[in-house]
Amino acid sequence: MNALNAICVQEQYLAGETMTEKWDLAQSWGFDGIELRGKGNGEFLERLPALKKAAAAGIHMPTVCVEMDHFVGDFDADRRADALSQMTDQLRVIAELGGRGAMTPASWGMFSRRLPPFEPPRTPEEDTAVLVDAFGQLGATAQALGVQIYLEPLNRYEDHMINRLEDAVTLIKTIGLDTVKIGADTYHMNIEEADPAAAMLAAAPYIGHLQASDSNRLEPGAGHIDWALFGATVRAMGYTGPIAIESRLSGPADEALPLVPPLLRRHL
Amino acid sequence: MNGVVQAASRVLIENWRNSYTVPAGGLYPHQWSWDSAFIAIGLRHISPRRAQLELDTLLSAQWADGRIPQIVFDTRRDDSYSPGAAFWRSELIPGAPSVPTAGLIQPPNHALAVWMVHQSDPTESARRRFLERAYPRLARWHDYLRTRRSGPSGLAHVVHPWESGMDNSPYWDAPLAAVVDDFNGDFPRPDLDHAAPDQRPSNAEYGKYLSLAARYRDHDCSDRDLDHRFRVEDPAVNALWARSEIALAEIAGTIGADPEPHRVRAAELRQSLESLWDPTIGMYTARDLVTGQLQPYRTVSGLIPLLVPGVAHAEELLAELAGPHFALGEVALVPSHDLTAETFDPSRYWRGPSWFNTAWLVAEALHALGRHEHARALAVDAAASAMQHDFPEYIDPHSRAPRGTLRFSWTASLSLDLMTRIAPQAI
Repeated sequence: MNALNAICVQEQYLAGETMTEKWDLAQSWGFDGIELRGKGNGEFLERLPALKKAAAAGIHMPTVCVEMDHFVGDFDADRRADALSQMTDQLRVIAELGGRGAMTPASWGMFSRRLPPFEPPRTPEEDTAVLVDAFGQLGATAQALGVQIYLEPLNRYEDHMINRLEDAVTLIKTIGLDTVKIGADTYHMNIEEADPAAAMLAAAPYIGHLQASDSNRLEPGAGHIDWALFGATVRAMGYTGPIAIESRLSGPADEALPLVPPLLRRHL
Repeated sequence: MNGVVQAASRVLIENWRNSYTVPAGGLYPHQWSWDSAFIAIGLRHISPRRAQLELDTLLSAQWADGRIPQIVFDTRRDDSYSPGAAFWRSELIPGAPSVPTAGLIQPPNHALAVWMVHQSDPTESARRRFLERAYPRLARWHDYLRTRRSGPSGLAHVVHPWESGMDNSPYWDAPLAAVVDDFNGDFPRPDLDHAAPDQRPSNAEYGKYLSLAARYRDHDCSDRDLDHRFRVEDPAVNALWARSEIALAEIAGTIGADPEPHRVRAAELRQSLESLWDPTIGMYTARDLVTGQLQPYRTVSGLIPLLVPGVAHAEELLAELAGPHFALGEVALVPSHDLTAETFDPSRYWRGPSWFNTAWLVAEALHALGRHEHARALAVDAAASAMQHDFPEYIDPHSRAPRGTLRFSWTASLSLDLMTRIAPQAI
């Protein structure tokens, strides 16, 4: 047993006007930290003063997960540039807070090779070039700030570029910066990886962040993912970072979420 | 022993193949019967569900006659191990399952493993009806041993050295000497791509192994070939059967079946084991049923009856374990053969090297007998030796040098189990 991994909950589940109120609730449910949500249009950057106060008050906020409608792998150059700018702000904020890093997929909801029209407007080589450029820039920024950028592989229906941990490892090796890491999500791995445990172990040196959801996107425990195996794999990897809950919920938050930290800790 | 749990977990995660664990990534590409049971015993600490699946997968390859086959083949890897599915042609043998398997068996440690896996998470086990599914299969497996493999002694016999799991033990020297190598054809040795020839059975042994296996196959694995030239009662096989009957009684009691027949069977087997006691060497040993002769060798197999509660000669076995022939605490683990014997070879497979599964069995027996300090010392020795050389298949008892292949699954799983259960304070 170890208590190394902070179990974090995303902030949207936490009722409360202030971060202090949210933190009290998170702690009462057994969580060790809060994963922030990074909205666009400069909104996340505007929160910096309040978040700095929260951090000074001892609220543990190790990571931020992007919440926008466009991403650094967008087909449109302007939207791509804006996403890059917003992610750069997120890295700055999380660095100011003393956190670990910011997480984003290559894109989300933009294109799926499994749905019509099946063929995206860019070639795989063009996709790779875009992502190497974007994550290369973000990795360099992260390096300067002392934090990390987490690339989240999504399942095939939500993104067409980076679906498996192996895809992300290939891209990260091309970029060659150790500030670009994988943010691995159990829900997506459950769909994409033949053996999520083996995939996590194989990619272990590249994994910087974990998100936990069950097989049906609900909170851990509400589906059929083998959480004992997940915990053993996390230990076997030597991963000591946070595990954040980004799930839909099977019931009211105050009923569903307090069950999650004990479930995960049982196996960590 | 820092890191043994993590390192062992890595081996087990890497050696998993969708629904079972291969004994090692290169040398052994299929599912082996007693390996899977030993693997499940450690896997339960990583994932009770995966440990159940390991055993479910093996038990699903049960033959109509109840046997649990020695190997369930991955046909995509049929060039990687010999003899493979193409040799056995199990699809042509009546009663074989839908997946290709070997026709031979291995020691019956499965009920013990099923019970230990259940105990690791009874709620998950009950939710998946693991015991309800396993019990009738295990009962039929034990019935196979009783009705098809047992003679007047009440003990099960093996029809091939491979069935003992200890392929080239000195026990088989005399019985094999009477076997004519009439296997016509080349036999590939892909095992030699993964381990040095002096650490594996010799070619002469392999020719006889294949002759026996081919004859058994060509008699449809029916056990009705009265002239089969190799029939030997082995102490470890029967001790494991007895121990597994006790586990089967526990399983039966848990699901509302009658445990009594299994307890009776265990007691009968414990009594029958006495027919293998050789007073001239002070150990249990093997009996060649063709000649009726006991084989006067001290091997680790003869110590395994320690695992059977109430076995008659436990004190003598404990003394033997600590004495010059096995030198518990002075050499690595428990040597597979008498350290002082002329036939002892520190490198060659089951003729001297120390193995982790037999160390686990002895540690388990010592633990059950209340010899906790010795059990813990053996557990720590096993885990340390495993860690030192990346989970070797077996080791030289004197030098501790690794032998055979590395990242061996049961070495990992049983080290994990020993350190979690018998020596947790050493982690």
